[in-house]
Amino acid sequence: MTKKRALSYLLNFAGVAVLFAALTAMFAFNGFGDSTTYVEGVCTTACYTIIMVASLNLVVGFMGEFSLGHAGFVSVGAYVAAITSNALAGRGLSDAALLIVAVLAGGLAAGLAGVLVGIPALRLRGDYLAIVTMAFAEIIRVVFCNLEITGGGRTMSGILKLSTFGSTFWIMVVCVTIMFLFVRSRFGRTVQAIREDYIAAEASGINVTFYKVMTFAVSSFFAGVGGGVYAHYMTAMIPTNFDFNYSAELLSEVIIGGTGSLTGSIIGAAFLSALPELMRQFSTYRMLGYSVVLVLVMLFRPGGIFGRWEFSLTRALEKLAGRGKSKTGAPEPLPESPAAKPAPEKGA
Amino acid sequence: MKKKNKVLAAALAGAMSISLLAGCSSSAQQGGTSSAASDSSAAEESSSTTAQSSTAASGEEDNVIRIGAIGPMTGGSAIYGEGAQNAIEMAVEEINADDSSPYTIEIVNGGEIADDAQDARQAMNAYNLVMADNPEALVGSFFSTVTLPIAEQAAVDNMLLVATGATNVDVTADKPTVFRDCFIDPYQGRMAALFVQSEGYSQVAVIYANDDDYSNGLKDAFIENCEALGIEVVYEGQCTTTDTDYTSQLSQVVASGAEFLYYPCFQDTVPLLVSQARSAGFTGAIMGGDGWDSSDTTGLESQFENCYFTNHYSSEDTSEAVQNFVTKYTETYGTESLNACASLYYDAIYMIYQAARNGGGTDTASLVEGMTGMTFTGVGGTFTLDENGDPQKQIVFNTFVDGEVQWFETLGPDGEVVASRES
Amino acid sequence: MTFSLFFQSLINGLNLGATYALIALGYTMVYGIIRMINFAHGDFIMIGAYTLFYTVPLMVDSGMPAWLAVAAAIVVCAIVGVLVETFAYRPVRKAGPMSALITALAMSIFLQNLAMVLFGSRPHNVSAIFSLPSVSVAGVTVSLNVVLTIVIGLAIMLGLQLFVQKTKLGKAMRAVPQDRDASTLMGINVNRIITVTFAIGSALAAVAALMYCTTYPRVTNDMGTTMGMKAFIAAVLGGIGVIPGAMLGGVLVGLIEVFVRLFAPGWYEAVTYATLIVILLVKPSGILGRNTGEKV
Repeated sequence: MTKKRALSYLLNFAGVAVLFAALTAMFAFNGFGDSTTYVEGVCTTACYTIIMVASLNLVVGFMGEFSLGHAGFVSVGAYVAAITSNALAGRGLSDAALLIVAVLAGGLAAGLAGVLVGIPALRLRGDYLAIVTMAFAEIIRVVFCNLEITGGGRTMSGILKLSTFGSTFWIMVVCVTIMFLFVRSRFGRTVQAIREDYIAAEASGINVTFYKVMTFAVSSFFAGVGGGVYAHYMTAMIPTNFDFNYSAELLSEVIIGGTGSLTGSIIGAAFLSALPELMRQFSTYRMLGYSVVLVLVMLFRPGGIFGRWEFSLTRALEKLAGRGKSKTGAPEPLPESPAAKPAPEKGA
Repeated sequence: MKKKNKVLAAALAGAMSISLLAGCSSSAQQGGTSSAASDSSAAEESSSTTAQSSTAASGEEDNVIRIGAIGPMTGGSAIYGEGAQNAIEMAVEEINADDSSPYTIEIVNGGEIADDAQDARQAMNAYNLVMADNPEALVGSFFSTVTLPIAEQAAVDNMLLVATGATNVDVTADKPTVFRDCFIDPYQGRMAALFVQSEGYSQVAVIYANDDDYSNGLKDAFIENCEALGIEVVYEGQCTTTDTDYTSQLSQVVASGAEFLYYPCFQDTVPLLVSQARSAGFTGAIMGGDGWDSSDTTGLESQFENCYFTNHYSSEDTSEAVQNFVTKYTETYGTESLNACASLYYDAIYMIYQAARNGGGTDTASLVEGMTGMTFTGVGGTFTLDENGDPQKQIVFNTFVDGEVQWFETLGPDGEVVASRES
Repeated sequence: MTFSLFFQSLINGLNLGATYALIALGYTMVYGIIRMINFAHGDFIMIGAYTLFYTVPLMVDSGMPAWLAVAAAIVVCAIVGVLVETFAYRPVRKAGPMSALITALAMSIFLQNLAMVLFGSRPHNVSAIFSLPSVSVAGVTVSLNVVLTIVIGLAIMLGLQLFVQKTKLGKAMRAVPQDRDASTLMGINVNRIITVTFAIGSALAAVAALMYCTTYPRVTNDMGTTMGMKAFIAAVLGGIGVIPGAMLGGVLVGLIEVFVRLFAPGWYEAVTYATLIVILLVKPSGILGRNTGEKV
């Protein structure tokens, strides 16, 4: 069993590395012609959006609560990371080290904010919690608009350009890996138990508040990491970037991708953040399209496109190898999931 | 775990192959090395301008200046983008139709302005989009908040950027390849203060949006210059760009006894502020910056009496360049989108054209060389770019008569009256 | 602070608050019956405002009083409300509160962007609807508009209260949230009740749009977001689902915003949101709300 798992990890890591090598090679040798920089930019955007969306999914999908204020935590991470990297610039740290330190600082600050917000807010549930998270995010925005160190409502510019495609990609891989392990851990399973029935969970001796606040903090931490990467990619930002609309956008990407599926979040974020770029001339209709898709998803697939289905390279390979043989027990809820499509495509 | 990344791989790979196609179809044909199927309309449009230069690529010597344009085509200020698009088309047509001109202009991205939707988050993608077509110069964008990230990146890429309308100081600061054709916030704020002095007001109030670069910049400069000129600032109040209610701030303005109110914000909130100020009993003058351009005065004609704003140009200006621009623009596109933004994009194209003539080449280095310190005459008057790449230019004061914008006077860089309605 | 400034701020706060209160009535009405936050309510107001923007000049041209345009707005809003309910909310109602909330959010985004596509994103001024004079008392300007907004708000509040308490339909409306299945057994057509609720809620949005446009004569496609959020806060503050609570909450939020802006204008939004958080933590059901235990 452990051997198999180790193999599976190795396999997955190899897959990620191959993907990275392929993309990097494409960018290095102008594989996209004159559009290379542009495609690289879109891919970098996709990578940091994945971190933000996947982290929101921890709350929405795995904890089953509704956060309308994720952009607030993203902004905490973005600003703290930017301030950190500015303070540490020229101290002999390499770009990569500087980015990692800055992003970690941003993540920790956002995580701390998550604890501070979570302790009072998570006493509430459902729509009330949604409203309170939104209120906290708005308060965070107003605070950044009034602090001198964040530019006092002005654009904070001159942030070091540290986020390259390579660094963003690997940060994303690390973040998603940790989130995945978190969800699969004993802790993560407890959180899912609370989602299923919090009264029963409480009755079984689970400290519901503790688990909720911790999950909220972890989610905020990764939101902050995403924000830190964002700040060092954009190099300039203003608090109004992180308004309610941004939270709503992130949330719709989670929902469309699939609540409770990190695979869904990754595909949702990658695809939806690239989509408006692919059809720039329709940018007026972008949010219109989002909302229609959102309603359709709610009508026909309330769990999102991927539901709780997770992609597994090992399983996909097994399927490919043992095609036609007995269906190895697939306990996943969606055997005929549409996600079956991307898998062979990748193999090709 | 990384399992998902495989799927991500598929998604990204898919997304990228699509965007590759998208990139091809939108890039003009001679720049693309991988142009399998160019969009026919883009090809047609560019073929007229590139007959003699089908092999042109960045850096190679040719007679075509390839310009990328960025602007707000959608969102709350799409009206600006519309004017900009028209003005660019007009300028390019004029230059290319002139047989004696040594250079022709081609707007990359199929002649379209890349949309930044007045959103800083989309600015970088718009920048990368036009950069994909290997331009030799960039024009845009209009709002400081959007232009700042673009300018940072342009400086890193050594790309010539002519900012239009982005009046924030930091846009050009320490960036040798970034210029602009509009005045800067401190200058506009100072001119407003000089105006206050010349009109003889002694007590002024300011209401500004604290979540916006432009508003903050103008407020700082205005207050600083007022204090230097001995004008008392009796009230300083904040609002946000999304506010609709100003009654609280306005009641304090009235209580403070101010005779003049400075409101450096954008046109979408100006009618609200003006009408609320008047119903709060404020009878003094109200003034704003170029963000007031295209304010809707419908139904508020009488409230807009005694209101002023500074702007880059006035369509009533009698100078030849302005009249030429206004007449031609109105003939083709009507007056709806004839705003300062249009004039700034128009001038920016001509500035790059002149830079090519000065620098003797169309590659970015020659253009930058030709642009640095240039003296230019256009719709925005005659001005010289200073060491930062900012113009020292005249400023127009407009007022409202029966809800219609009316030219009031034009001041030179040192506050001297260049022309005025009365004279 | 001088007395006149204090009094002026009081009037301004009431004015702002009365507008919030009118909008909050719509939120509370819908929430009270179907236990769902109708995020799109602010956007119903936007639709009402656009209807007014286009119909007021027509009314004036044909010599009728401008405020009669509200009839058109009521019809349009009620139709939109019922359509949204039938095609978006009803199908997901069984899927649980989370789905309902997301659908409502999606409808809000949808309506906003649809309006942008249809009407453009440029703000428009709405022609003057009432030509009410302002009265100046001891240096304080009192716009009669404030009085009118408050009177209309109170009238609607009383009307709704009577309707919900006394009429048969109102009683059915109160029965539905208590026990949907039992209501069905008692012969109440739950779907019909909910549709009627939405029609009334949306019609309230049209009236709110009328008073909003009188005070802030401007329409944009995104006007619903901020305003709706504030009004929603007002509804929660007063006790969502409690009709008089909406009135109280609206006026409170208005007063808070105006008075905070006197001292720290940059922070007023933070104070409003913080008030909401405090209220929700101390008394989640709002000032006038009743605490109800959760059923297992």
